[in-house]
Amino acid sequence: MISLHGVSKTYNEGRPNQVTALHGIDLAIAPGVTVFMGPSGSGKTTLLSLVGCMARPTTGRITLDGEVISSLPERFLTDLRRRRFGFVFQRFNLIRGLSVLENVMLPAAPLGEERAVVEARALARLESLGLAGKARMPVEVLSGGETQRAAIARAMVNDAPVLIADEPTANLDTALTHRFLDIVAALRAEGKTVILTSHDPRIIAAAPVTAVVEMQDGTVLEVRS
Amino acid sequence: MSLRPATPVLSALAALLALAGVEGTHARLTAPREAARLADEAQLVRALGLTDLALFTEARYTRHPALADLATAFQDNPLSFEHFPSGSLIAPPEHFGPTALGFAPEDLR
Amino acid sequence: MSALNRQRALLDFTVAALARRRIKNLALVAVFATVVFLLASAMFFASSLRREAEATLAGAPDLIVQNLSLGRQAMIDAADLPKIAAIRGVATAEGRLWGYYYDRISGANYTVMVPSAADLVPPPGEVIVGEAVPRVRDFKWQGTPLFLSRHEGDLVRFDIARTLGSDVALISADLVLMNEVDFRSFFNVPAGKFTDLAVTVRNPRELSTVVEKASAALPDARFVTREDIARTYQKLFDWREGVMVALAFVAMLAFAIFAAEKATGLSAEEAREIGILKAIGWDTRDVIAMKLWEGGLVSGGAFLLGTVIAYAHVFWAGAPLFASVLKGWAVIYPDFRLTPAIDALQLGTLLLLTTLPYAAATVVPVWRTAAADPDAVMR
Ligand SMILES: Nc1ncnc2c1ncn2[C@@H]1O[C@H](COP(=O)(O)OP(=O)(O)OP(=O)(O)O)[C@@H](O)[C@H]1O
Ligand SMILES: [Mg+2]
Repeated sequence: MISLHGVSKTYNEGRPNQVTALHGIDLAIAPGVTVFMGPSGSGKTTLLSLVGCMARPTTGRITLDGEVISSLPERFLTDLRRRRFGFVFQRFNLIRGLSVLENVMLPAAPLGEERAVVEARALARLESLGLAGKARMPVEVLSGGETQRAAIARAMVNDAPVLIADEPTANLDTALTHRFLDIVAALRAEGKTVILTSHDPRIIAAAPVTAVVEMQDGTVLEVRS
Repeated sequence: MSLRPATPVLSALAALLALAGVEGTHARLTAPREAARLADEAQLVRALGLTDLALFTEARYTRHPALADLATAFQDNPLSFEHFPSGSLIAPPEHFGPTALGFAPEDLR
Repeated sequence: MSALNRQRALLDFTVAALARRRIKNLALVAVFATVVFLLASAMFFASSLRREAEATLAGAPDLIVQNLSLGRQAMIDAADLPKIAAIRGVATAEGRLWGYYYDRISGANYTVMVPSAADLVPPPGEVIVGEAVPRVRDFKWQGTPLFLSRHEGDLVRFDIARTLGSDVALISADLVLMNEVDFRSFFNVPAGKFTDLAVTVRNPRELSTVVEKASAALPDARFVTREDIARTYQKLFDWREGVMVALAFVAMLAFAIFAAEKATGLSAEEAREIGILKAIGWDTRDVIAMKLWEGGLVSGGAFLLGTVIAYAHVFWAGAPLFASVLKGWAVIYPDFRLTPAIDALQLGTLLLLTTLPYAAATVVPVWRTAAADPDAVMR
């Protein structure tokens, strides 16, 4: 359970290019699948980065299972990112020059698990996304959809309880979108939390989705569940 | 499981370390033989009254830096550099002798 | 176990990341290793030679007495010998006959000596020669006589009684040993003259008193003690000298270039990668450990490679790279093997000098990037 209390985020505060991306958001994100939608620039990515402990809110606080996480020191945030969250970035952010498999295994590197265990897990994730055949390829030769799936596999490799995915299906066709939704359904069945942003009506109408949050100009317009 | 990226690098480092070990062993194993050789040399030095290494034979100051003339401007002094590189590798001897006249007033009487 | 797995995983990532610019990084290691190789070779070579000189020249005469005339060394009178021998504390004093001979045939300089030890005195008409003499004269068969010529039309034949081996080449390569009669007649040295006097004292601690008394007896003479000789060789190839300075300087310059290349900051690409790593759960410590591995692999590998090759170069191959430098103008260069002598302190200094600045240059620019918030990679 993630709660936001009066959370706002202002970039470049006090400077001429000051932008307030979020205005006093109050929101509770329950386990299950929550989809954020809204026009471009409405603050979806900003909100995900605050929830995922990538940045701190300018005002307000965020709690994770009752614990305030928005004011924790940096090293605790890293630990949270590592153990609680898996990320799919809007721009994928795979590391060029490394293979798909190496990229997918990266989040596990600091955890000190056996390489064989991590590799098996990473291959299983790639398999479930139909990418096992490309595991040894360098990421820059992948197509847009393949890159996206590699990013999804990387986000899931540590079995984190919360998956945060920013536009995860933007580059996927109908078949692959359904495959992704199957995975999301499976995660939900395991009791995990999935937080997505999407413009895609297929996602918003999909069966596993438990809540849809509509945003506009840095505020929450409507929550449907 | 596939080959880990660091494995070839670590093997190369291990091979280098092994070679370093071989070299260390070589140093240790040849030590007695070398000590005997040095003893032979010392024996010859004693028998001939040698004073210098026969490393640079091109000029008398490089052949016998210990016995080189001190006050000759050219050729015989380690400070002359015409024989590069030995002339620049060998330090001038420190025993240049007294450089100031040492006398007391009563010596003049 | 898990700490080991973590380090290994970080190491794997480092290597995979370095392998992306394989040629550049291998070239970096190669250049780095070359610098280390040159420095380490010079170090091994110098400390080995110094040790050789120390060990052998410990047997040099306690005191050499030279006669000076017009600021140059001149022959010394045999009449001076008893004056020195009479000084209390002097064990032996003997006149030495030695000099240089320029061989017009080979262009080499020989050191011609009359040995004082009886077993090294060759019979009349024969010589004992150092290892290099037959070599530069290109003697093809055993028993080739040595013809020495003092001037146009002059040819004196000496048979070679014995050749001193290459085991002792470093001190004897250019020697030609004759007996006294041959020496005096060949070089036209009148009886009653010596090159210099070699003196041994009973108690080395009395040497300064002996020198004092001797200089009273022979005010124009110059006295060279064994300590003076030792000091000359302690400074042989001293780091501060000549070529070594140039070498060390070039090496330092190379380090500086590497370090500057690294320290001028991270490329946008590298900074972004670090942001990604942080965003997917890497700690600042993980990023720095990974970078330490990078610096350690490159500089440690280069150090190991450089020193291992340097050892082989100096002690197995006989330092061929230096031979051509040291030979200089000389015709004779002794064919010698060096005794492995490794100065642990110097080697440690070299290790620190190579690895520390490089590791620092790799890690320091990363520090700030790694400590920043990773949210920039969200967009
Ligand atoms: N680092 C930043 N500095 C300045 N302004 C920023 C920064 N990050 C975001 N913004 C601004 O905040 C607003 C919200 O951005 P955000 O990325 O959250 O939108 P979004 O809803 O994800 O849009 P899209 O659907 O196009 O991805 C935008 O106007 C953006 O320009
Ligand atoms: Mg966005």
